[in-house]
Amino acid sequence: MREADLQRLLRAAAEAPDGPPAEMPFAFETRVLANWRARRLGEGAELWKFARIFRRVALSAVVVTVCAGSAAWWQFQADDDLDSPTANAYAIADTVIDAGTWQ
Amino acid sequence: MVDRMADDPEVAALVAGALRDEDEAARELVRRLYPFVARMVRAHRPKRAAEEDLCQMIFIKIFQNLGQYSGTVPLEHWISRIAINTCLNQIAAEKARPELRHADLSEEQVAVLENLAQTSDEIAPDQRLASRDLVSRLLDTLKPSERLVIDLQYLQGKTVDEIRAITGWSAALVKVRAFRARQKLKAQLMRLEEGHARG
Repeated sequence: MREADLQRLLRAAAEAPDGPPAEMPFAFETRVLANWRARRLGEGAELWKFARIFRRVALSAVVVTVCAGSAAWWQFQADDDLDSPTANAYAIADTVIDAGTWQ
Repeated sequence: MVDRMADDPEVAALVAGALRDEDEAARELVRRLYPFVARMVRAHRPKRAAEEDLCQMIFIKIFQNLGQYSGTVPLEHWISRIAINTCLNQIAAEKARPELRHADLSEEQVAVLENLAQTSDEIAPDQRLASRDLVSRLLDTLKPSERLVIDLQYLQGKTVDEIRAITGWSAALVKVRAFRARQKLKAQLMRLEEGHARG
């Protein structure tokens, strides 16, 4: 089999008449568009779900921050003697953590 | 048909309409593009996939990505790329590439084979359909990328530059793949001729 023989075969194949033009099946465009829109809605729903989760996480973070801030504020207001480590819960916790870290 | 669509302002308007979610524009776009997409699918369809299902899959991808169509490349190149990639993925999923045996050939295909072996004349017009069938069966034995390059270059008569635009391959890769594919086709044809000689 020579290259020229293959080229002859390919030329003949290329020159073969095309079959009848493809006819679009009935309601094909309706099916395509319905499927596309359904997928798009599905993608939108996923995004919406993600946004809802994100909003809940953000809300929880805000609540925790506000609670922690309030607790700290209350602590500072309640104790006049902030220099004494025994009177300040934060200072106590800090001392314990420091001790644990450097041991 | 789609070649004329490339610069057709009407098609551009349909694309814009489809992007604005106008139902009638989207429907008309499907109607206009269907013959082109169906032709691509016929040329590259994997054995076990139905033509209609594959066309539907391609159209959905076209609509999903229509927003990314910049208009800087011809529409037919952009659609060809989506259609061909979808077909290649399907072909790759099927994996099996059957070996073609002499006994599998029809009488007409055997006659083409004899013609190739005995003369160096061009194949007669009445044998062209059989030639196309034979080539199609030979292409089934190749890798999807090799099948694609032979189809585009030799059956559709595309230039290397056009194949580059459709596939995204470099010119060197197009040439290398075409060369390898031709080597494999020649080897297959030789095996068939030997099978024919053995009777």
